[in-house]
Amino acid sequence: MKKNFVGVMVILFFAFVMFSACGGDKGPATLAIKAAEEAINVAKTEVGKIAPDEIASLEGALTSAKDKLAKGEIKEALAEAQGLVGKAKDVVAAAKAKKDELTKQWTDMSQGLPEMVGALESRLGILSQAKKLPANLTAEKLAEAKSGLAAVKEDWTKAQEIFKSGNMADAIATATTIKEKVVKAMESLGMTVPTGAKS
Amino acid sequence: MADEKWDAKQYYEVKKGDTLWKIAEAHYGDGNLYKKIFEANKDILKNPDTIQTGQKLHIP
Repeated sequence: MKKNFVGVMVILFFAFVMFSACGGDKGPATLAIKAAEEAINVAKTEVGKIAPDEIASLEGALTSAKDKLAKGEIKEALAEAQGLVGKAKDVVAAAKAKKDELTKQWTDMSQGLPEMVGALESRLGILSQAKKLPANLTAEKLAEAKSGLAAVKEDWTKAQEIFKSGNMADAIATATTIKEKVVKAMESLGMTVPTGAKS
Repeated sequence: MADEKWDAKQYYEVKKGDTLWKIAEAHYGDGNLYKKIFEANKDILKNPDTIQTGQKLHIP
């Protein structure tokens, strides 16, 4: 009976020592995870719409660090969480550079596209009055350009709405598709395409 | 227009022997539409029958 009691006490002692040891490491790991979570939240707020994949990757790594902590893999959880703060900052910096580039692209297109559409519309209006079309232009091509113009105007309104919602990448993708359609229409009418629209 | 690379205005440089009629015919297929070019270039053209070689005309 006495032997059993001592055994139980020894087990309890070791359990206490191990629990204390784990508890000591868990503190820094918990703090590191909290810091990483805050850094990721800041990154998500600032650049979540520009770099959604990168933010998802950071969130995945954070979940992994939390899982490790829950499993008692404290050192690994700490190391992973500590690395995430820096990674979140890198994502924000890269996304801001990307945002600047997208802003320039959008500014160029939002100035250039309406001018291109205006030039196309003007030419289509005049060609519609012509009794005979230029040698390189068929009535089918003219009709195609006219119907394309209506679609382009509609799409341009959509692109502007997407931009206003803050989704720059999608707005630029839509604007790029519009630009390609306008370029095609201008070329079919024998018009000169602005150099900025060729890239 | 802030950026000339995006300037979509259409231009044509007048060559020897050109007339507004010929230019309209080349661009629109119909010489009768020469007035459209004349109207768009009234700042530099006083008379549709008088154009100068080297003049840069806007073709609307």
